Amino acid sequence: MQILFILTIPILLSVAVLFIKKQRVFGIVNSMGYLVILSASIILLKEIVSLRSSISYFGFIYLDILSAFFIFVVSVVAFAASLYSIDYIRKDTESGVISEKKAKIYYILFNLFCFSMLFVPALNNLGMLWVAIEMTTLISAFLVGFYNNKESVEAAWKYIIICSVGIIFALLGTILFSYAFSLSGGMKSLNWSDMVASAGKMDKNTLKIAFIFILVGYGTKAGLAPMHTWLPDAHSQAVAPISALLSGVLLKTAIYAIIRFGIITIKGVGFQYFSNLMILLGIISLAISCGFILVQKDLKRLLAYSSIEHVGIISIGLGIGGILGIGGAMLHVFNHAVTKSLMFFGAGNVVNKYRTHNMHVMRGVISTMPFTGFMLLMGAFAIAGMPPFSIFISEIMIICAAFLKGYYLVTFLLLGFIAIIFGAVVNHFSKSLFGNIPKGMAVVREPLSGKLAFLFLFVQICALGLVLPFIKKDLVWMVQTLFQG
Amino acid sequence: MMVIILLGILGSTFLMVMAKRMPALIRSFCYQSFFLFLIIFITAFKENRLDLYVVAGLIFALKVLVIPYFLSSTATKIKVSESLGLFINSQLSLIIALVLTYFSWMFSKNLGFTGEYFSGIAITVAFSQVFIGAFLMISRMKAFTQVIGLLVMENGIFLLGVSIEEGMPFFVEIAIFFDVFVSVIVMGLFVYRINKLFTHIDVNRLSRLKG
Repeated sequence: MQILFILTIPILLSVAVLFIKKQRVFGIVNSMGYLVILSASIILLKEIVSLRSSISYFGFIYLDILSAFFIFVVSVVAFAASLYSIDYIRKDTESGVISEKKAKIYYILFNLFCFSMLFVPALNNLGMLWVAIEMTTLISAFLVGFYNNKESVEAAWKYIIICSVGIIFALLGTILFSYAFSLSGGMKSLNWSDMVASAGKMDKNTLKIAFIFILVGYGTKAGLAPMHTWLPDAHSQAVAPISALLSGVLLKTAIYAIIRFGIITIKGVGFQYFSNLMILLGIISLAISCGFILVQKDLKRLLAYSSIEHVGIISIGLGIGGILGIGGAMLHVFNHAVTKSLMFFGAGNVVNKYRTHNMHVMRGVISTMPFTGFMLLMGAFAIAGMPPFSIFISEIMIICAAFLKGYYLVTFLLLGFIAIIFGAVVNHFSKSLFGNIPKGMAVVREPLSGKLAFLFLFVQICALGLVLPFIKKDLVWMVQTLFQG
Repeated sequence: MMVIILLGILGSTFLMVMAKRMPALIRSFCYQSFFLFLIIFITAFKENRLDLYVVAGLIFALKVLVIPYFLSSTATKIKVSESLGLFINSQLSLIIALVLTYFSWMFSKNLGFTGEYFSGIAITVAFSQVFIGAFLMISRMKAFTQVIGLLVMENGIFLLGVSIEEGMPFFVEIAIFFDVFVSVIVMGLFVYRINKLFTHIDVNRLSRLKG
């Protein structure tokens, strides 16, 4: 029932844009809508946790704990982004960067984009899953190229071409999965719930090759390392609230698809195969992002490379397995989504104020914009993995899992790269947050709705450490049901 | 009969690799889609399946008529030179395409598809289209070739879907079709924008974002 609300509200909102004239009113209506979606997704999550089973409608929509969790993550970030959009877009229209009409187009695309991302985890049919993920690419390409200048159009072109090619490989993998399934049972179905039931009988050789195609395909969309090249461009050129959505949740929907196919592969081929591939890609992602973060000058590109790092950590967590590893990866999905959104909102404010992406020119952010500066300082420590914040908890869980399972080399590399990245991130941010204010820069008061978005995310970054003991039992159950055996 | 049509698909793919100019590329793509249409139509006729008739009709309407027309009209509208800008000359490209075909033969043999005579060849052709499409995308300068390379890869996927026993469920196939169509339109729009902002569509000169 809740899923009906979750899926129809974005569509209704995108139609409502055409009828509401005042942009500010619509912005508020928009975030109210996302508040409803957020509460519906929390109720859905609670219901599935307390029922301890899955819900399915017409064999088309299938909601288990994994889908409910990802829908929850998407709706959290979407709500924050809708709050932040109100003032961001208003400022852009006032300064004449975009016209009133273009602001409307922004809101339509924003809602369609959120719809497609909420749609992905709800689907049972793996072919439709592919269609929904391709839909997210096509819609967000317009949002990446929104400002229509040379850089953003170039970024959008790279984004759409690289992701479309990647995703074609994913379609090839999906077809091979369905072939393996039809050999085993003779039933004609692409439904995940049917496939997973007869995963043990599928042809091992075909499954192995099919999963590699899936990993290359959806891995491109998730930003795993050798296929990540679109990511820094798209993230740095998109509108700030969209950067947050791209990095916070778009990458996670691709991770979701990998997990879905991964479960079938694990049941058919065994855990070791899945594990080796995921850990390999994760380590490559960490290594590449580490190098680029060290020498980065551009604020938003720095954050984009940091997303590659965190996707790498999630992939390592999934690869290590066990309750600590997979539980840690799941928590990391949520923690990274909220923390990175906060950072992109902060970066959006700073870029708007200083009119540059170059971190060598930004100085004294904390004196010109006290609130944003403070949030960025906290966020920088959180994203680098300082103890009181939530990312530390999920990282330590994954590291513990790696130690306990005896992956010493992986642990060594993981700790080493995280330490280097910690130093680099703190160094970059402390330089631009503190220091002398450039001449002619005035101190500004920041609008309320922007602050609300920051506070909403910040509370979640801090709170997880306190809530964890209460949800531990449910988390353990969630991981166990997902990866039995 | 079917094998001859399959060879037609492969031949038109090689023609695309050899092509040096835009119209030749689009025309060969047209031939290729037409052969794909024939394959699906004959399969539909043999197995008497209504859904395959619809898919065949959609391929004919979209991939043989609408998309090539859309691409060539956009190409004439933005008035860029017709040359594709080859990074690798056409002879060498052909050799690479042949190697890729051999590679896909080995690949389908590895997957255990070559038991049946027809499906073995069909799947080899399908994989070779996917790989050659990817090769076309990276070895040509103009943004248009990337769109067409993508379409070639997609044709390969469709051939694979038909030749593997059951294929996709009907509504999934329609949804994929719709998606492909929309993505071509979106890419066309972006080619248009690139041409307007940069006054060229050479993707190797899109190099403002680095590091």
